[in-house]
Amino acid sequence: MTTVPTPRPEPVGPEVTPLIAASPRGRRRRPSGEPPPLPRRIDYSIRWYLALAGVCGALWAAMSVPAALGVITRADLVILRAVAAVRTDWLTRLMLDVNALQSLWTARLLAWGTIAVLLAFRRFRHLAAYLVVFLASALLVSAMVLEIGRMRPTGIVILGPWQGYAQPSRPVAMLALALVGVLYTLVPAGRWRNRGKWAAAIIVAAFCAARLYLAVDHPTDQLTAVIIGWPLAVVAFWLIVPNDVFPVSYRGGRKAHLDVGGRRGAAIVTALDHQLGLTVTGVEPFGLEASAGSTPLRIQVRGPDGQTTLFGKLYALNHLRSDRWYKLARTVIYGRLEDEKPFSTVRRLVEYEDHMLRLMRDAGLPTPRPYGFVEMTPEREYLIVMEFFEGSHEIRDTQVDDRVIDDALRVVRRMWDAGIAHRDIKPSNILVRDGHVLLIDVAFAAVHPTPWRQAVDLANMMLTLALSSTPEHVYERALGVFAADDVAEAFAACRSITVPSQSRSLIRTDGRDLIGRFRGLAPARRPIPIQLWDIQRVEITAALLVALVAAVALFGAYLSVAGLL
Amino acid sequence: MRPRACLRRHLALLAVVALGAAATLAGCASFSGAVPGCGDPLRLAIIAQSVPSASYLPCLGDLPQGWEASGFAPSRGGTSFLLDSDRSPGQPVRVELTATCWTGGASPTPAPAPGVLAYTRLDSVRPRFAGRLYHVFPGGCVTYTFDFATGSQIALTEQFESAVRLYPRQQLRLVLKQELGVELNP
Repeated sequence: MTTVPTPRPEPVGPEVTPLIAASPRGRRRRPSGEPPPLPRRIDYSIRWYLALAGVCGALWAAMSVPAALGVITRADLVILRAVAAVRTDWLTRLMLDVNALQSLWTARLLAWGTIAVLLAFRRFRHLAAYLVVFLASALLVSAMVLEIGRMRPTGIVILGPWQGYAQPSRPVAMLALALVGVLYTLVPAGRWRNRGKWAAAIIVAAFCAARLYLAVDHPTDQLTAVIIGWPLAVVAFWLIVPNDVFPVSYRGGRKAHLDVGGRRGAAIVTALDHQLGLTVTGVEPFGLEASAGSTPLRIQVRGPDGQTTLFGKLYALNHLRSDRWYKLARTVIYGRLEDEKPFSTVRRLVEYEDHMLRLMRDAGLPTPRPYGFVEMTPEREYLIVMEFFEGSHEIRDTQVDDRVIDDALRVVRRMWDAGIAHRDIKPSNILVRDGHVLLIDVAFAAVHPTPWRQAVDLANMMLTLALSSTPEHVYERALGVFAADDVAEAFAACRSITVPSQSRSLIRTDGRDLIGRFRGLAPARRPIPIQLWDIQRVEITAALLVALVAAVALFGAYLSVAGLL
Repeated sequence: MRPRACLRRHLALLAVVALGAAATLAGCASFSGAVPGCGDPLRLAIIAQSVPSASYLPCLGDLPQGWEASGFAPSRGGTSFLLDSDRSPGQPVRVELTATCWTGGASPTPAPAPGVLAYTRLDSVRPRFAGRLYHVFPGGCVTYTFDFATGSQIALTEQFESAVRLYPRQQLRLVLKQELGVELNP
């Protein structure tokens, strides 16, 4: 589908140039009905799996009618008699050995092994998905077994042990479920998972063949069991932990980062071209180790003046969920001093950061120039684009002289004057270029913050500067920008938990008592309490505690119901 | 949030809750009502398969008020289930079908059906009324293991004896042939 490109708009305003480069076609509006750059794709395999679920439902519906059950049973028996025709002593012994996989301990060992590995690698989202899928499938099997109440094959000698009703075959479903659980929570997608699927399919097929040979199950008992244990479980994993958002990886690094190759890489190029008019020549991950809340990217763009580099942050649902947990934790730790609410959607999150970039730029703060954001998948995935500070270095890697100290302190002063708090002042967010301080990562910034939060910003900036200088010198320079009482307030508000973890770690390595020294230099002031309790904080904390106790109790019940005990 | 996305999200949430509730309810309901009733012969077939020689199969008739059946466990070699009375909490009657049973030391009691012999063996009379009741028939035996508080034993024994009935295998064979067109082996 095509549409006529709109005329390229002229740059608006002296400060923010909306376009630094333009594709030959310019921006392009996506017509109604055209998929977004990265449509949420339902694989063909998923569609097939859903169709199989339909087959399963149809079989169960048919089995509730005696006449249809009779037809199905007679058809099953034809197959079983054909299989029984090849029975020999040695083959029977072999099949009984294979059928030993039906032991509850097979599924239990696989399940507990999977849970242990997921815990060891702190892959809690996959663990939660695994537990939910396992419980739901176990319940579904139990419910249907009792609901249908089908007899074992009749008119043929059953050679193997059995327990309970036949439809669906519980041992087959549990084995398939345990193997699929391993594949979709522990094995990285791609070559290894594909090989694993073949191996699992061979194991399940051998098990099914053995049970057919022994006439323990009807073929249709196994068909529905395999559908529950494999396709339905895969669909559930696809819904709860889609691989393109929550990939299984053992390469280290933050698990929040998305793969920017393949479909997503192509979608980034298309989205930047159509929505921002940028001709992208390269996209690569950048500074992943310093970012947990998004996937940071360095974007090469071709413009009229040659190549330009931009900085991008890719936000997806997993980042939104991380943000929610982060803010919940902050509310519990800080109480009513943090009155922020979590973002409801990824769009809101990225809109907010774009807004803050523009606001801080308008306030004259040295933050990256915003270039807007693009929609990759509506409500699920967005990419925000901003200036890349070429030639800048992190403040720890530069000479921190009086010019840099003054500039950094003036940045805080300007934020105070503009009624803004950055809320994440730490060395990795402060860059220096040509003796000037630049501030990055404004996603946590707040407008009209609490006075406490503004004071904390000042304390964190002074601590960062003191790491490359001395508290005495930084204090002396600060008195040129702030009143002594301001500094006293900053360090009265400062606590270990208000200092970003990077700064805390550097102060510990440095060995000097920087906070104590600053407090000694500034006028005496009573510490500002931060453990303030209000009703909301009490409610949230109590709810979390109750949820924790309930989770432990539920987990115990779960283990029993899911047959893992 | 866009209205469509919002609607989709709510529908998804509703579906998850409904699925969870349905699974839980289905699971709970079925777990407690799993023992086949005498009026549902197709479900009785699994009991017949557990002891292929048994000429009678235990099934549930009308459960007296205050009684519940649970723990239905058919397997190759036998079937068992539990009958719980609210007048004897924590002490269910265990009903077990096996191919054979040992009735040594048990006293004969009135039989519930033609071709069935009944025996009772009491292990204790006071302070607990505990023991076993056997229904022995060609190819099988149903054992009822009970343990009641003395005083309520007469009513409780009558009630569980009337709740469990014996269904003839021959009749089940005819029903399966008629309804499903299959033979019940052997």
